[in-house]
Amino acid sequence: MTNEKKLTQAFVSALSIDEAQVVDSLQYNTIKEWDSTAHMVLIAELEDAFDVMLDTDDIIDMSSVAKAKTILQRYDVEFSD
Amino acid sequence: MMSNSVTNNLNGVSVLITGATGAIGQACVAQCLSEGATVFANGRDAERLGELAEKTGTKCIPLCYDVTDEENVKQAFIKIKKMQSQSEIGPFYGLVNNAGIMEEHSLVTTSMDSLQRQLRVNLLAPFQHMQLACRLMARHGRGSIVNIVSQVGEQGSSGLSAYAASKSGLSGATRAIAKEFAEKGIRVNGVAPGLVDTPLTSHYEDQLREEIIHRTAMKRAGGADEVAHAVLHLLSPQASYTTGQILAVDGLFSP
Repeated sequence: MTNEKKLTQAFVSALSIDEAQVVDSLQYNTIKEWDSTAHMVLIAELEDAFDVMLDTDDIIDMSSVAKAKTILQRYDVEFSD
Repeated sequence: MMSNSVTNNLNGVSVLITGATGAIGQACVAQCLSEGATVFANGRDAERLGELAEKTGTKCIPLCYDVTDEENVKQAFIKIKKMQSQSEIGPFYGLVNNAGIMEEHSLVTTSMDSLQRQLRVNLLAPFQHMQLACRLMARHGRGSIVNIVSQVGEQGSSGLSAYAASKSGLSGATRAIAKEFAEKGIRVNGVAPGLVDTPLTSHYEDQLREEIIHRTAMKRAGGADEVAHAVLHLLSPQASYTTGQILAVDGLFSP
C-alpha cells in the first residue's frame, strides 16, 4: 500500500468519512467529523500507520490533510505528490 | 453475596510507574506485579533500577530516564508502544505519576531555581507523561492514571509554598484531564498522602514530626504500602466508576 493510501485510510478510519473527502484542502474543524476528539484518534491512526510518534507541536500544527503530509515527511515518510 | 477479594485485577496489562525506586514507588511496583501487571519501572539510577528488577522478576521492566527530559520521556513511550504488542506484556493500561521532589523554604527564601525545579518534576513531567499515556490508552479505549499529589498541595503547609503550588497544580490537571478523557474510557485520579515514612520526610526533626502527628487524627505516620494500596485501588478496574477524585491517604490530617 502506498503512503498516500495509508494516509487516506487513516483519515477515513479516524474521522469516519468517505475516501473522496480526504483531499489536501480538508481542514481541521471545518467538518463536524474532524473535531478535537477525532483529532486524537487521527493522530493514533497516523502513528500506527507510519510507525512514528509525533511531537506535540506537530499534533497542534496538523490542521489539514496537506499539512499532515508535510509533517509526516519530517518523519521520513515520503509522498509522491 | 459479595466476594471477599478480587485478584489479578491487572492481569494481562502493562503499567508505567515513575519514581519506582522510592519507597512509595517500590510499594506500587510490588502491588501492581502482585495483581498480574507488567510494570515499566522508571527511575534515574540504573543500578537501583536493576536491583529492583532483579528483586521483583521478569515482569518488571526497568526504564532509566530523567522524567524532566522531554526527549527521554518520548523515547520511553516509543519503547512502551512497541513492547505492549508483545503478548506477555500486554496493552498499556496504567500510569502512576509518582516521581516527585520536595524542597522546604520560606516564601522569601525560595529561589526561582527551586520553584522551577519542583514545577518541572512535580507538574510538568507528570503532564507530559499524561499526554503521551492518553495517546496510547485511547487506542484501546481504556486506561487509568493515578497521580501522587499531596495533602500539602490540597491544604497548604507553611514553608512548602513551591511544593504546594506544584502539587496542587497536578491536582487541578488531574480533575481537568479526567473530564476530558472520561468518554474515552480513561480515568484520572490522585492520591494525596499526608505524613508518610519515606526518605522524602526522613530529614524531619522529631519536633516537626510530632507536630504533624499531633494534627493527624490517627496519631501516626502512614506507610508506603498504605499509599500503594490506594493507588492500586484507583488504578484497577475495581474503581471503574471513579474519576477526577483526589483520595486523601493521611490518617485524617488537619493543617
